[in-house]
Amino acid sequence: MNMELSRRQFLAATGAGFAGTALGAFGFGEVETAHAEAIRAFKLVNTTETRNTCPYCSVACGIIMYSKGDLRKGEQAEIIHIEGDSDHPTNRGTLCPKGSALLNFVKAETRLKYPMVRRPGSDKFERIGWEEALDRIARLMKDDRDGNFVQKNNDGVTVNRWTTTGFLAASATTNETAFVTYKVVRSAGMLVFDNQARV
Amino acid sequence: MSRKSAVVPDPTVIGNVASPPFARLPDPASFFSVRAARLRQLAETSNLAPYLNFLARLATVQSDIQSGLPRPERPDTQTIARARAFEMPLLDRSTLAGDKAVGSVFDRLFAAATAIDKPVDAAKALAHVTAADHVQRLAMAHSVFSNSLPADAIAEHVFVWAGLQVYFARLASVLDLAMLAPVADGVCPVCGSMPASTMVVGWPGSHGARFCSCSLCGTLWHYVRVKCVLCGSTKGIGYQEIHGQSGVIKAETCDECLGWSKILYQNKEAAVDPVADDVASLGLDLLMREGPYHRGGFSPLLAGF
Repeated sequence: MNMELSRRQFLAATGAGFAGTALGAFGFGEVETAHAEAIRAFKLVNTTETRNTCPYCSVACGIIMYSKGDLRKGEQAEIIHIEGDSDHPTNRGTLCPKGSALLNFVKAETRLKYPMVRRPGSDKFERIGWEEALDRIARLMKDDRDGNFVQKNNDGVTVNRWTTTGFLAASATTNETAFVTYKVVRSAGMLVFDNQARV
Repeated sequence: MSRKSAVVPDPTVIGNVASPPFARLPDPASFFSVRAARLRQLAETSNLAPYLNFLARLATVQSDIQSGLPRPERPDTQTIARARAFEMPLLDRSTLAGDKAVGSVFDRLFAAATAIDKPVDAAKALAHVTAADHVQRLAMAHSVFSNSLPADAIAEHVFVWAGLQVYFARLASVLDLAMLAPVADGVCPVCGSMPASTMVVGWPGSHGARFCSCSLCGTLWHYVRVKCVLCGSTKGIGYQEIHGQSGVIKAETCDECLGWSKILYQNKEAAVDPVADDVASLGLDLLMREGPYHRGGFSPLLAGF
């Protein structure tokens, strides 16, 4: 392939014009010139196809996301289409109705983009910082666990249950993330739990 | 007597699961005539019309000369077993090109092609290959197999390639899919040639799957999407298309090997043909020439771009 490139450059340098192309060789050189002239006004646009995992449930279907613009080249990228990945062994090109509507999910104005809180007695959500959010969650979980942790059942058998808080973790995670999530949540005694590791 | 019907539930129908076959072998009876029809259709709206119409007639000749040709034989079981054991293509194209049957395909094709209305240069090239002896034709066949056509004899080599296409498509058509196994990235499992272009198909049961189209025997083989056909990399894959077009034909670029290959979305336009549409989208090649990527695969009808 590099040989062809150098041959083309060689012919261009020697002024051989379209003699080195298939169209020129068959005697359609003028057609080629006209076509090259017509196409000059056009530009190329970059689109991307990216493999990812559907974020909805723990089945973790494979998806292909089509976007315009190239992040690698410092451009803004915008997702224009999402479809099931036919090479993915889990869903083999299919998507459920929720997965089929992923584009609307990505573009939804009401989509959660940063931590929000609705404080007791308030009727609306307000934006808070990550630090504040994580501190608040940790504080509330600790208080709840301290207040409601069940160490032994009625028969005096040790059970170490924490049933008043539930945990729903993401679907698009690696084995390692799923493993760590499972260990953290189960060792805290939580029973109400779903994530990728269940499947 | 059982009242139950013998209907077996098939949950895959509900979700329209894609289970693409590993390959689709060419049917030479319709292969070239369908291509000719597509070339004529594309010529109606393209300013490459003279070239496309010429190629349409050449494809028609490729289709017509087959009547009366003997049905090709399958490779023997020993050859198949050896190819499978060493992960080689089933057909050894270099050896097969020396077969007498190839000579008769050449003679038929070159004789029938004289009737095509064509420019002087094409007629000269045809006269060259018609007059060439067995050894010269074999040498040209080997140039075709090495994917590099000498710049001063491209037209001659395209005629030879057209003859080889007929011969190898017929050989491929009598094979059994069960004999095939993947060989390597970007290598035809039947004849070992490089792909002309690749195609995302919308066929029932294979929707959304991508197939590479062999530049020689026309076999379509399944290849994972968003993966470089030339080097097998899955990193840094991009798709470039001409601004304002419908997204049916794109250039799949790879930042690892700096190569690109043409990808056609047959699921968006059903009549797309891996060779005809490749030629008709010459504009993409011309624009891609300005960029850092070099085109991989093998498409002799666009040689030199």
